[in-house]
Amino acid sequence: MSTAATRPDRAATPPRVDPIVRASGVDVRLGGTGIVHGADLALRAGRLTAIVGPNGAGKSTFVRAVAGLLRPAGGTIEWDGEAIDRVGQRRLARLRAFVPQRPAVPVGIAVHEAVMIGRSPRVGAFRRPGRADREAVDDALARADALAFSERQMTTLSGGELQRVQLAIALAQGAPVLIADEPTSALDLGATATMARLLRRLTVEGLAVLLVVHDLALAAAIADEVVVMHEGRTVAAGPPTDVLDRERLARVWRVDASLHADADGRTALQVAWLDERGPGTTGRADGPDAPPAADASPGADASPGAGARGGTGAADAPDG
Amino acid sequence: MAVASARPADAPASTGDPPPDRAAARAAARSRQALVLVGLAVVLVCAAVLAVALGSTVIPVRTTIAALPWVGDTLAGWPVIGGGVPDEADRQIIESLRVPRMVTAVVVGASLGVAGALLQGALANPLASPDVIGVTAGSGFGAMIILLAFPNAVTLVPLSALAFGLLAAGLVFAVAWMGRGGGSILRLILAGIAIGAVFTAATTGLMTAFPDRVSTAIFFIAGNLNEDGWSVLRQVWYYPVAGLVLAAFLIRPLDRLALGDDVAQSLGVRPRAIRLAAAAIAALLAAAAASLAGLLGFLGLVVPHAIRLASGTSSHRFVVPASALGGAALLLVADIISRRVAAPLALPVGPFMVLLGVPLFLWLLRRASA
Repeated sequence: MSTAATRPDRAATPPRVDPIVRASGVDVRLGGTGIVHGADLALRAGRLTAIVGPNGAGKSTFVRAVAGLLRPAGGTIEWDGEAIDRVGQRRLARLRAFVPQRPAVPVGIAVHEAVMIGRSPRVGAFRRPGRADREAVDDALARADALAFSERQMTTLSGGELQRVQLAIALAQGAPVLIADEPTSALDLGATATMARLLRRLTVEGLAVLLVVHDLALAAAIADEVVVMHEGRTVAAGPPTDVLDRERLARVWRVDASLHADADGRTALQVAWLDERGPGTTGRADGPDAPPAADASPGADASPGAGARGGTGAADAPDG
Repeated sequence: MAVASARPADAPASTGDPPPDRAAARAAARSRQALVLVGLAVVLVCAAVLAVALGSTVIPVRTTIAALPWVGDTLAGWPVIGGGVPDEADRQIIESLRVPRMVTAVVVGASLGVAGALLQGALANPLASPDVIGVTAGSGFGAMIILLAFPNAVTLVPLSALAFGLLAAGLVFAVAWMGRGGGSILRLILAGIAIGAVFTAATTGLMTAFPDRVSTAIFFIAGNLNEDGWSVLRQVWYYPVAGLVLAAFLIRPLDRLALGDDVAQSLGVRPRAIRLAAAAIAALLAAAAASLAGLLGFLGLVVPHAIRLASGTSSHRFVVPASALGGAALLLVADIISRRVAAPLALPVGPFMVLLGVPLFLWLLRRASA
């Protein structure tokens, strides 16, 4: 399997564990309009799943339904083998943490206070947070790399810091499943890479992670499995380089693009940005008249600690 | 390959290496909050004693303390403040007039402070106060209809103010929560303004219909504590007490709501339900406060802000109880001033609450932005 070869840390994850979350045939309607039609998904411990697809494909809506934030119109969503509407909000809060796309930034709340609020599903009603809770908060801050600014006010943080705090809030919940809706969409290259490393590391530590991702190169670098959504349907699922082939990129995103992943975990998406033959083209487009290939990848290094660094700075060269 | 268990070599540098001043920063924040709480408590206790001592006639503080139920016996042997000997007239005034007035001020101030804190948290809107959910306008109408149209039934003013305040809030919630997209903050605020306008218009209509009786209503509109003894408190005390107890259950859900609806839901609360519950409890508290002391809604707007500015935190675990203390202290001090400024004539407390609260608030605002 080519993906296992490119990402050594993934080869070590247990190949088949029972899914914590299983969604099948999920339909979601918002205000009378069908948004998601018969979508499927399975999440497993120690696996990172990325949902990709064009704008308006229903990714966020589907993910919100899976997380229990929206009630689906049809299909089944099971958490721990139990139908989601029988799980209950309180138990669900201990099973999954959700990081929204545009988190609110509360005024007058310090970072560690916000993370302690994230801990609240684990603190009994009317009990004061104890030593174990404070340690859990510090642990969450450390795992999200947010310890350095734990005493600052939320309103003083940069976008990248804010997103790490959101991650820490989610980790403080102590849930085995982490769901994030486009956690990197507002971040610069460096902050995106930091977030990618953090999410990958959390996966290796055993969390089941579900992300909505727009950046296909990033998805290919960090995901064990990508699920492609198109017009409300899940149209493909599997290892990134298998699923995100040139034909599918042309069919779903209507661009002539190809995804490259090399042995040391570097990924690149080469897009014929200005190709007029554009939509639906399945043939080769990188002839002499094609515009120079652009690298849209944030260059996330997804193999933290991986011993085998393949080449010496292997370039993101097209393999065509 | 044993890669899965290996710690990433490129882990971010700051992990596990907290800056040494972390504990100090937290301790400083905590002591600032403790200072605010202790300061408010001291002001509250001193003001409570002075509010009993100072009225149209002045009773010495020692005598006052000695005449207070159970407090007098406990402090009898203390130097300076113990050992007063109240006569029967002092006792009479203190027990049947001034203590109930002081207790009313504490209950009203605490209720409005908490109502404001709940609403500002639930609606994520710094301008939220009991006015925005229509309670003030409803209570005003409820009192006016008795005072102007049925002056012989004046003892019904508190209950009518309470009932119409709750009715107005009920209408606002019904409009705001019905149908698609119900429960949004914007819809609640707009419904509150619309329903409030209806009750304000009705009140104006009443005043036009009975112009010669309007003067009797001025004290209610201005916000006023009176010396009715325990009778009104006895009628309505359970509403504010129930509201204050229920408010305690909302502190943690409101903190979760501060992180946004999605995160709150992820943490196991239903944002719409919390918002509705907080607004309903705030309505109960504000209507109860209006039934006891007229229209003092401004207190609910300004006190939670002052608490946030002074303490540096917006955590509801701190702001809600501190707003109860702060509201009670502010109203008590204002009440003392309102009775002493033109003694023996007692003026309505509302304008003095504003005169006292606004400069304090503006000073905190200036200090915070500096």
